[in-house]
Amino acid sequence: MSKHTPLVTATPMSPAIPERDLQSQERHEDELIMHLERDQFVAETSRPVPRAPLSARARAGLWALRVFVVIVSLMVLYTFVEQLH
Amino acid sequence: MSTPVISASPLLRQPVLTDEDLARSHDRSRVHHARRHRRRWHLMWLLVGPGILAMLGENDGPSMIAYASDGAQYGLGFFVPFIPILFAMAYVCQEMCMRVGAVTHRGYGELVLQRYGRVWGWFGAGDLTLTNLVTLVAEFVAIRVGLAYFHLGSGVAVALGLALVVFTLSGGRYWRWERIVLGLALFNGLFLVAAILVKPHVGSVVDAFAFTPFPGGSFNTLLLLLASTIGATVTPWMIFFQQSASADKGMTPRDVTHGRYDTAAGAVLAAVFGIGALVAGAALLAHDGSGIQGFAGAGFPEALRHVAGGAAGAVFALGLVEAGAVAILTISASTAYAAGECVGVSHSFNSSPRGAAIFYAANIGVAMLAATVILIPGAPLLSIALNANVLATVLLPVSLVLMVMLANDKGLMGQWVNKRSTNVIGIAVIAFVGICGAAYGIDSFLQATHVIGS
Repeated sequence: MSKHTPLVTATPMSPAIPERDLQSQERHEDELIMHLERDQFVAETSRPVPRAPLSARARAGLWALRVFVVIVSLMVLYTFVEQLH
Repeated sequence: MSTPVISASPLLRQPVLTDEDLARSHDRSRVHHARRHRRRWHLMWLLVGPGILAMLGENDGPSMIAYASDGAQYGLGFFVPFIPILFAMAYVCQEMCMRVGAVTHRGYGELVLQRYGRVWGWFGAGDLTLTNLVTLVAEFVAIRVGLAYFHLGSGVAVALGLALVVFTLSGGRYWRWERIVLGLALFNGLFLVAAILVKPHVGSVVDAFAFTPFPGGSFNTLLLLLASTIGATVTPWMIFFQQSASADKGMTPRDVTHGRYDTAAGAVLAAVFGIGALVAGAALLAHDGSGIQGFAGAGFPEALRHVAGGAAGAVFALGLVEAGAVAILTISASTAYAAGECVGVSHSFNSSPRGAAIFYAANIGVAMLAATVILIPGAPLLSIALNANVLATVLLPVSLVLMVMLANDKGLMGQWVNKRSTNVIGIAVIAFVGICGAAYGIDSFLQATHVIGS
């Protein structure tokens, strides 16, 4: 998991950091996030995109291509092993 | 993936910023600044990267050996125009990857898995892992071949490759990783220097651009050359890498034009440097390609030294080290992106190793696994290196089909979907790659099982 850095990184219970510094840091981070599009945030890209409906024909085509590729790959691997002998 | 989305502050109700967001927003602020002040070259400098890295990463050890072997065995005639055509094909595929990454901000493995189901996502990741492992072994072989010219052994090759992987990962920033690898990748130009050092006849190189028929040999040899040369220009790892890297870099639809320049620049550089390796290899043509058989024992640079002098041999050997090293970095990265995306955890160079443990572990682990293979005494390194590109070509069509589907997905891409012309060219590329790979696989299998004669 990523380490999260909240927009407001300190609470009033953090006496070590002067308030002016906190405001400055907050302003800096606010300025920075303006340069990211909303859907670029990790929080947004973590949400899965909805599943696309695939037609029966598209599914059949993908499976046919997959089976074909596996068969040809096995042929290449067999030839590779044969060449070793 | 990072889960909390609500700020610690009850007042702001903003998404929590992760380290990854902060690092990316730093990079994006520079892009905005350059764009606002119309600093065109600076903007270009900030936005180049994934395209050049994908293309020059594919000018890897086995590919450069394949080009040089083509030159040594057949001369320049057929291949000088063929290599730019293949990189034009690669541009069409890689532009789609860049565009989908910039528009969706998500990697290829992640999108396939979420959009078309886990089966297709895991199939893609499985193909990638297999071809990447085989190719990474071939990259370590290439480094070993280059270093052997300087009387350095396998141990140094392994240490160099792994040290580079760890060093580039150590910064915890995408920008740093990209710039280091980009700096290394420019040394792919050593193959052009090697081509100049062999003092080719300029007229014969220029004449070679007039397409001449394939210079001869058996049908199976032609298929092998086509399959391995295609595998030297377009591979599954490039698809995973460029889309994920474009998203990791923080590219947006506004950057698509620059992404196209980046990809085109990568294709041109890769084609020029590939032709450089071909021309350097062609210096051995008059010597019947002698030295190629000694490839596993540093035969190529050594053979060049005999024909064109020590400088040419040394530059070619250094080029092999560079080609193998850059490919190790980019291919390991593509494996790491795929692992993180398919498992559904953080997968960014902008995350810390603690925040993206699987991403970093996959990056280093796959390189270590490949490095282990080349330390095994008697391992068939030459055969692995020569078959790596062919296997990539055979497995490529499925990745390309899913890529075209993503680039045509209106729900994801909106106005950025493929144009009709891009689809026509993309489908033609898939058909060409599929037919060449399948024809070689079937023909070789029938020969190996003695169904047909060689």
